[in-house]
Amino acid sequence: MIEVEALTKRYGAFTAVSALSFCVRPGEVLGLVGPNGAGKTSTLRCMAGVIPMSSGEVRIAGASLDADPVAAKRALAFFPDEPRLFEYLTVRQHLAFVARIYGVGPYEDLARRLLEELELADKADVLPGELSRGMKQKLVIACGLLHSPKVMFFDEPLTGLDPLGIRRMKDSIIRRASEGASIVLSSHLLHLLEEVCTHVLILKKGVKVADGTLEEVAARFSNGEAGVGLEEVFIRATGGTEA
Amino acid sequence: MIGALLYLRLTSLRNLVVYRVRRLRQPKYLFGAAVAVAYIYFFFLRRLSYSTGAQAAAPAMADVGRVVAAFICTAAAGAALVRVAFAWIAPSEKPGLRFSEAEIAFLFPAPMTRRALIHFRLLSAQAAILLTSALIVFFFRRMGDTGGGRVATWIGWWVILSTFDLHVTGTNLTLARLRDRGRGFVLWRVLAVAAIVSYAAAVVLCAAAYLNAHSAGFLAGSGPGAMGRMLDGLASSSPLRWLILPFGVVFAPYFARSPADFALAIVPALAVVALHYLWVARTEVRIEEGSMALAERRAAARTAMQRGEAPASAGARPKPLPGPFPLEPAGLPEIALLWKNLLSMRNSLLNRRTVALSVWFLVCGLMVARTVLAQNARGGDIYGPIVVMLCFIVAGYTLLVGPQIARQDLRGDLPNMDILKTYPVEGWRLALGELLAPTAILTAVLWACIVVCAFAFDSRGDLEWLTPAVRAAGVLCLGAAAPFLCLLQLIVPNMMMVLMPGWYQATRSRGGGIELMGQRLILGAGQLLLALLVAVPATIVAALVLVSAYWWFGAAAPALLVALLAVLSILASELVVALWWLGERIAGFDVSADSR
Repeated sequence: MIEVEALTKRYGAFTAVSALSFCVRPGEVLGLVGPNGAGKTSTLRCMAGVIPMSSGEVRIAGASLDADPVAAKRALAFFPDEPRLFEYLTVRQHLAFVARIYGVGPYEDLARRLLEELELADKADVLPGELSRGMKQKLVIACGLLHSPKVMFFDEPLTGLDPLGIRRMKDSIIRRASEGASIVLSSHLLHLLEEVCTHVLILKKGVKVADGTLEEVAARFSNGEAGVGLEEVFIRATGGTEA
Repeated sequence: MIGALLYLRLTSLRNLVVYRVRRLRQPKYLFGAAVAVAYIYFFFLRRLSYSTGAQAAAPAMADVGRVVAAFICTAAAGAALVRVAFAWIAPSEKPGLRFSEAEIAFLFPAPMTRRALIHFRLLSAQAAILLTSALIVFFFRRMGDTGGGRVATWIGWWVILSTFDLHVTGTNLTLARLRDRGRGFVLWRVLAVAAIVSYAAAVVLCAAAYLNAHSAGFLAGSGPGAMGRMLDGLASSSPLRWLILPFGVVFAPYFARSPADFALAIVPALAVVALHYLWVARTEVRIEEGSMALAERRAAARTAMQRGEAPASAGARPKPLPGPFPLEPAGLPEIALLWKNLLSMRNSLLNRRTVALSVWFLVCGLMVARTVLAQNARGGDIYGPIVVMLCFIVAGYTLLVGPQIARQDLRGDLPNMDILKTYPVEGWRLALGELLAPTAILTAVLWACIVVCAFAFDSRGDLEWLTPAVRAAGVLCLGAAAPFLCLLQLIVPNMMMVLMPGWYQATRSRGGGIELMGQRLILGAGQLLLALLVAVPATIVAALVLVSAYWWFGAAAPALLVALLAVLSILASELVVALWWLGERIAGFDVSADSR
């Protein structure tokens, strides 16, 4: 469960996210959308504990990110848009390192299954420099899933993946949610959100414009029209301009 | 075409200057520039104006300058020979010329001949050479003053550097052409290396023969005058004068003492430069692939440097290595970070250059050790104090400069900070784990120095009190304090990185103008100041406890051990506070601040 109350992030005089509140329950997938510079990545990074909030409260699986960051972080996984890997650690060594950091315990079987699922088994002993961008992204996903997180944050999860990888990623997100994970994902690919998300939150200039289930948000901006897609909803909600 | 290239160079230069001047509006750059200007004034300009007046009253300075200049030129000639020999011994797979990635992207597809590209490269090099020559004259003129004017010295250095640059370029192009031809590539290389080695051997043998025959006469005199006469005699002796003639022609303008000397020297020197230019300009060879590979390596090296890694390792592709020790899935997270950073460090260190340097130092160390032992066996101890002094220098360097070199800690992991911050690990533990690997390396160097010192001290004579027990206690004390000191020293630059990420990142780029030079000076001074602040309480307590304990026990060894406990408790306290503080800063560290 992710509980966010009045989350605010300021960079000097500029407010990137302003008093944002929402809740993602187990089994829900929240799609975070908004124009460029709307504050999506700042929101995700604050919720993952990567950057400090200026004010507000975030609770991850019941633990306050501010008061008990270790417990909160033990329950979450953050998947950044750009895969960040340690240059000198092989795929297998990455998993060994992450297992130790998260105190996973015997991890070898789970790691092997993840590598097979993500088609990285034959790359287990190579360094990230020899992996394509898509494979690096898969390794980041394997590392993030190794400690079976209850909360997941995805920032543009499909970037760099091939069509098969995209299909598998969507299935994986839906499956993890059905297994009880709370998931927030940020993406500009609205068709992904329509396929995967149960809820959507639209941000503009750091302020929440709308949130709710896809149907609720669509109903709010459809003006009584039938069959209005998320793309049209997004354009109407954000006024068709950049942040 | 050359006009377009000149436009690119001059416009880039003008924009760079404008950009840097505008950047001074930011306080951090303005402050850095002010510090650098003050440093240059007090350490160079003031001395320069002072020395100009003093030089007339001290003609002996000219002799000193000429001797120093002779040594500099000998070293430069030796380095040039080694560089050229290395190019022939181990030519790169795809020899190329130095272009930036942007230059490759724009110029290589452009309708330009290969010769125009080579000229562009030569023009770029000339800009750098002219600037370097001017800087040498500006900063180091007094050190290697040969008695000529500043302009003559500048032109002299321009001739030397241009010849070297053209020769290396010509060698690379020739090698590329020979490789393209295929036939006789190895034979040509063997012949070239044999010629260079024979030449070097002949020069060394002739010089040794002359010095053996004449050293007694010169040693009767003393001072730089005698040394200068000896070098003059050496350079004019036959057959050495003919052997070093090619170098002599190139170095002659630099050594000219008067305008007439210079006028005589510059003509043949310029002819040598012109011949080298013709050699380079007329060598038709494919340079594109090699130049692209070189540009990629340089870009990787620059990125690695900004990440805090050794630039030397960036050119080589890292290899998968087994972990430094088996990492159990359960246990302290700090150990996992140590494991990761040691793995990264091994990959950085395991390159040809580091291995060659290590072998070189090992051989030198073994030779020194053998000499020390032989001297001790004969009852004298000439080298012992030298070894001890070297150990002190290495230890001091390790403590003060080592933390700037061993960067496999938070500084090296700055690009991965967003991932590190999602780990369920307290800030202080993250800091400790990140600092363990460089601490281990620096501590190992300090321990080696301590052990060598312990064996190098000769306890005969004035040092009778240095009994084996005192020696053992000393080794134990210093050895125990070493990791604490290293850890504290490493915390300082990591604190700076966390506190001032924008500032810290800016200083990671090579060059960067006078303002970045000032910023580096400020960071270095900050490191030194904090090191002193950390050391002062421990040193005072150590002195007080040592005197008291010595008075109490009446023996040095137990007094040292008691003092050790006191010092360790102080250092440990400082460490706990520093780690806690650093951990808190990491927890609140705004990763996005590094781009602001």
